Amino acid sequence: MIADSCAQYANSIFENYTEMSTLSLILGALYFTFQIYGDFSGYSDIALGTSKLFGIDLLRNFNYPYFSRDIAEFWRRWHISLSSWFRDYLYIPLGGSKGNLRMKIRNTFIIFLVSGFWHGANWTFIIWGALNAIYFLPLLLTNSNRNNLEIVARGRMLPSLKDFLNISGTFALTVFAWIFFRSNSVKDAFLYIKGILRFDFELQMLPLERYSVELLALILLFIVIEWFSREHEHPIFGKHKAVKVLLLLTGIVLLGSFSNVSDFIYFQF
Amino acid sequence: MKKFLLHIFGLLVGLLLIMAVLDVLYTQVYRNMTVRSKFQFIRSFKDKKIDYIFLGSSRVENGINPLLIEEQTNKKCVNFGIPASKLEDIYTVLQLLDSYNIQSEKIFIQVDYIFNVNERSNILQYQFLPFIRDNQKTKESLRYLDDFNASYYLPFYRYCANDFKIGLREFSLSVAGKKTKLVKHNGFVPRIEVASMKSDAALPSEINANNAAFDRIDAYCKKNNIDVVYFCAPFMKETKNLDFAEKLQKRIPNLKNYARLIDNDSLFMDGLHLNARGATFLTNYMIADLKLK
Repeated sequence: MIADSCAQYANSIFENYTEMSTLSLILGALYFTFQIYGDFSGYSDIALGTSKLFGIDLLRNFNYPYFSRDIAEFWRRWHISLSSWFRDYLYIPLGGSKGNLRMKIRNTFIIFLVSGFWHGANWTFIIWGALNAIYFLPLLLTNSNRNNLEIVARGRMLPSLKDFLNISGTFALTVFAWIFFRSNSVKDAFLYIKGILRFDFELQMLPLERYSVELLALILLFIVIEWFSREHEHPIFGKHKAVKVLLLLTGIVLLGSFSNVSDFIYFQF
Repeated sequence: MKKFLLHIFGLLVGLLLIMAVLDVLYTQVYRNMTVRSKFQFIRSFKDKKIDYIFLGSSRVENGINPLLIEEQTNKKCVNFGIPASKLEDIYTVLQLLDSYNIQSEKIFIQVDYIFNVNERSNILQYQFLPFIRDNQKTKESLRYLDDFNASYYLPFYRYCANDFKIGLREFSLSVAGKKTKLVKHNGFVPRIEVASMKSDAALPSEINANNAAFDRIDAYCKKNNIDVVYFCAPFMKETKNLDFAEKLQKRIPNLKNYARLIDNDSLFMDGLHLNARGATFLTNYMIADLKLK
């Protein structure tokens, strides 16, 4: 529902980025951000559910990553299985955050560059990894990488202003890094960013005959549902389960993208 | 295991119920609310009499201005041209006119390189799908679909499988009453663009010996005493293999051949389609040539 809908818009924008306005390019990056999350998180949930049918309990792989207040928290909530593997079998054996400043910087870059390289032999993934290392380093060097271990705004409806700004900032950095991840080449990524800096906010009809802003309503709905689910691993369970299931089924039937089904992005990695 | 099976069964029943309700809702909206597609437009003329009806592809939809004909002839005229239509589609529309009891004094059918094509238009398919249960003809006209049974028997399947064309977005626009241009101009969709370059379009170098759908159209018109005029709309003069139209005329001796009628490229929006000025030119020419007044 989310991933394939976003994929249509993101693909249309990334494949025609030279003709896109700043507004469309920002939306394209935003759509890809939710495409990859919906795609990979949904794919992980299918694996978790299928395993559960056979009595095997797998670890959750995503934990509302886009509500992270810093990049360190993001990486504790995104692709948890791979992050944990890299931490246990690469980062810690290399010395982790122990050692002198040079060692810390080296280890951080190694783990993120390897993580980038794991996605494919393309400089775009390496830069994506390097960007995340750059985002992460200040937190590590100021010993603030474990500041945000609790669920954001636990027990409250809305986040504090500080949390909101931190979430927004982290999200913006993540979206920026995804531009490299999604682009076909580093040159394309830089031209894409250059396009954003043109600052022309024209509302555009995309080649797929949809306005670039049209999908925002779905994204906003998704964010709201995610926000109010963030304290639960299985938000469907609990009170009013039957109503929630019916609403979810209705949502899938109404909003699902059935005529343009994309392969799971992570099939290629 | 029993609990699991019951759970899955419950989900399936719930899903089917939701789909059945949504199917009724969507179908009613497409039947009764805003006319947005060409097929809805055609259907809105149920039980009416129209003097002149134009059938064909986008070359008709963009090329014939029925309001101009009405203005000059005082005859009721509509443009039922549907983009990407092939002869098989035109035959279907022709039969649907009968299903919806739409009567006409004269029907004009545009034939060109589609004489060499034996396929159908998927645009028409999308427009028909909400009306698959409308009558026997709409049902039969979609029977060629691979997923016909699912489309016909499984509620809401057709809206899901074609969500990009008749899904939530189109449904919402219908509910919101957002009209398309075609109603305003009696089915004519004027294009303001002017061709920016010479046409690189090419017609087929050879013509097929016959076209089964065309033969059916011709036989159907004869059988039902329909006064039909076949015509070929203009192409930009640089279009390759323009002599295809002359070859076509040999296959259809009573064809009105306007393929080379316009040599002014500014009356086209591209090699195959007239713009609004070109449509005015062609319509005026046809009024005089076919003595429609």
